[in-house]
Amino acid sequence: MSDKKSLFKNVRVIIFILALLASIVLIHPGYTPGEGMTTKLNYGLDLEGGSWLQIKLQGALVQVDADPGMIVSQMVEPVIGAPIQITGSNLDVSGVSSSDSYITFTTSVPVSASQLELLDLGSVSVDKLNQNTTQVTLTTSKETLIQAYLSKAFDAEVISLSTENGIVYEIRTEASEEEIQALMEKVGGTILKNEDGTSTYKEGVSTNTRDLTRDILNDKLNSLGLKDIPVRTVGEDYILIDFAGIDLATAKDIAEKPGKFEIRIQTTGNETQHVLYGDSIVNVGIPTYHDNQWHTPFTLNEEGARALQKVAIDTGATDYPESHYLNMYLDENKIYGAPLSYSAASRLKESPIYSWEASTGTDEAAKTEASMLQIHLRAGALPVNVVLVGSGHVDATLGKQFKTEAVIAGLISLIAVAAVVFRRYRRPEILVPMVGTSVSEVIMILGVAAAIGWQLDLAAIAGIIAAIGTGIDHLVIITDEVLYEGKLPPTKVFVSRIGKAFAIIFGAAATTIIAMSPLVVMGFGALKGFAITTIIGVFIGVVVARPVYGVVIKELLEADGNGSQESMAD
Amino acid sequence: MATGLTEFLDNFVKNHDNRQLLAIPLAVLAVSLAVLLVSFASSGSPVTLGMEFQGGTQISVETTDSPAVLEEMYSSYPIKDARQAGSRVIMQFGVMDNEEQRQLEEDVMGRFSNVEIKQIGPVYGQELQVQALQAIFISFIGMSIVVFLIFRSVVPSFAVVLSAFSDIIIAAAFMRVAGIDLSLGTVAALLMLIGYSVDSDILLTNRVLKRRGLVEEKVSRAMQTGITMTTTTLAALVVMYVVSTFPYLVIPSFTQITLLSQISSVLIVGLLADIMNTWLLNTGILRWYVMKPEFRGRYNR
Repeated sequence: MSDKKSLFKNVRVIIFILALLASIVLIHPGYTPGEGMTTKLNYGLDLEGGSWLQIKLQGALVQVDADPGMIVSQMVEPVIGAPIQITGSNLDVSGVSSSDSYITFTTSVPVSASQLELLDLGSVSVDKLNQNTTQVTLTTSKETLIQAYLSKAFDAEVISLSTENGIVYEIRTEASEEEIQALMEKVGGTILKNEDGTSTYKEGVSTNTRDLTRDILNDKLNSLGLKDIPVRTVGEDYILIDFAGIDLATAKDIAEKPGKFEIRIQTTGNETQHVLYGDSIVNVGIPTYHDNQWHTPFTLNEEGARALQKVAIDTGATDYPESHYLNMYLDENKIYGAPLSYSAASRLKESPIYSWEASTGTDEAAKTEASMLQIHLRAGALPVNVVLVGSGHVDATLGKQFKTEAVIAGLISLIAVAAVVFRRYRRPEILVPMVGTSVSEVIMILGVAAAIGWQLDLAAIAGIIAAIGTGIDHLVIITDEVLYEGKLPPTKVFVSRIGKAFAIIFGAAATTIIAMSPLVVMGFGALKGFAITTIIGVFIGVVVARPVYGVVIKELLEADGNGSQESMAD
Repeated sequence: MATGLTEFLDNFVKNHDNRQLLAIPLAVLAVSLAVLLVSFASSGSPVTLGMEFQGGTQISVETTDSPAVLEEMYSSYPIKDARQAGSRVIMQFGVMDNEEQRQLEEDVMGRFSNVEIKQIGPVYGQELQVQALQAIFISFIGMSIVVFLIFRSVVPSFAVVLSAFSDIIIAAAFMRVAGIDLSLGTVAALLMLIGYSVDSDILLTNRVLKRRGLVEEKVSRAMQTGITMTTTTLAALVVMYVVSTFPYLVIPSFTQITLLSQISSVLIVGLLADIMNTWLLNTGILRWYVMKPEFRGRYNR
């Protein structure tokens, strides 16, 4: 009996037992009549039923250089309808503070400052030098000019990001390297090269933009009353949305509604100009009926309200609202258009307006339109264009079936393994701890999964099987090492044998972990789960479970009378 | 099975010289490489790329209709293949635009129950393909480095790496011949194979290099342990294969789990190849190496 006591004093054994108990608590198995087994484990969609969508964020990151003067000519000349002459610039001089950097040009036609301010080239001051010459000074920077140029060319938002390698421009729509190169050549510029000679062009968006998009989507789905829809980023520019218990068609409806929302204002004829994006909309109210009209109320933030005021004044909408409709677009499709009301137009001349109402009409159709508008306005704020690149759907009953089958496969596999082990050793003192160790490794892997909220899907189950498979291999190595002469050696020899066994096991485990780690880093969907589960499993096995197996079989074999009747075929 | 196999292999190894031992696995490796090369030359890819890497849609439904009926039913869509799996039919479609995709999905969902749909865009598929190849390549390199670090001697490490390489090549050639597509599941299986296959090789090399005793004795001891390891794993995989591939034989309503079925079938072949590669190829090289005159029997006493 003293042996038994020493077993439970062994630190490894204590840790093992604690880890096992903790895992069981974490998994929290229970039985509810009618519902069957319940646990705290999370299952992936392929076991739970539901659908998933994977979307790609379209965009490009690039470093470029250009001649500021040519950009200004390119952009200003079509607006004023006359050639310009660049007369001075310090934009290419380094060390000038941003408030002092400028570019000036002259032209023969009259120019209004507001006309030019619309181009986002910087702050504009216009001096009439004489009858035939107008001088314009833009207080600006090269980045601002390039940003404005690219933004105009792609009709999309362009952000400049300072990195340690210089300014990187993020174009928030699909933009190929060739397109950008052609555009830059027009203004005496080019796409810059990295130090190693490769192009700085990179398809995709920055991590911040990706995370922002994810957060907005998250918000949006939750605000539609769909709680707990996990929106995850996958790799560099993919976002994965899991819709548990929702079929694919509904999921697409939900996800495709949120899009890029934009308000544009009519300038002349059919031409429109950007006013604001959905991210300027801070609040959307429930449609109301008053003044014989259906209205969808919404609120703009400071930036949005000021932008709308500025554009309304600049385009003349405050004076002639009827010829300057405000149009709303969702993913480039016009969804609403109306002029400013006369009262709003006159108020705008004085101050920005934050609270707005979009009126849709009087009838039933108008009511529907108003409520659609509500969703669209709320759904508006994705900063980049997205495309659907993958999707999937598993019926809930099918998922349940998969789960049952996976469990059955696991159990029968375990019995098969036990049978092979028993055939080989023909001793329950080896069989029981071996199977016990494997089972406890599974429990601990599940415990970790429950603790970190890891989703168990079919790939993760494959990972568990992989970990258990190598686990059994390792237990066989330990057993054969310990019983090298066919019987249990004296304690001193036993310790060195265990050491040798672990030298092999650590080597084998290290190769498995190394072999799986690229998948964790590269991280594409299903295989990432597989790799992480395998690594967790192998790690738990090597560190927690397998050392205990060595101790336990020694105790059991000693209790059994030194295991002299070993049936190893020599 | 384990004991019989061990005895047979043990005798085989004892009664043949190193050259003879190497001949069989190297011939199988050569044939497998030839299969992959011919496939690469004729189709541009050594293995058949599955839907996940090419882009397209896979829809599996529960139905009593035959695959031919379904193929006819959806002939206005780019249907490529329809096949039976128990009480289900699995259909493969080519790339469709969003509108068409949606129409198809609505039709299928309205008509059938227990539907499973998986769709991958061609661009994403391309990206997955590149990533999967990179993953296999990096895993293999990483494994090789660890093996070299463990043994710190070139020939034995090389033998382990060659044997793992051969396992993967043979498994891949099997996939090509048996018509198993390269999917995320089978990539996982090939990666698992890297982990499994080195286990027994490391055991063998460790025993032979770091243990006292006659080489012959050490090899056959290692073989007993190693074959037990591989057969236990094989037993588990065969069960997994049967349960995930033919579950409807037991309970008619049960469904094939394609992912697990693919993983287990590739692993079974890979592990069978591993038995050959470990105990003929790796053993042959290792035995030649440790018996070299310059070691003066250092490893054989």
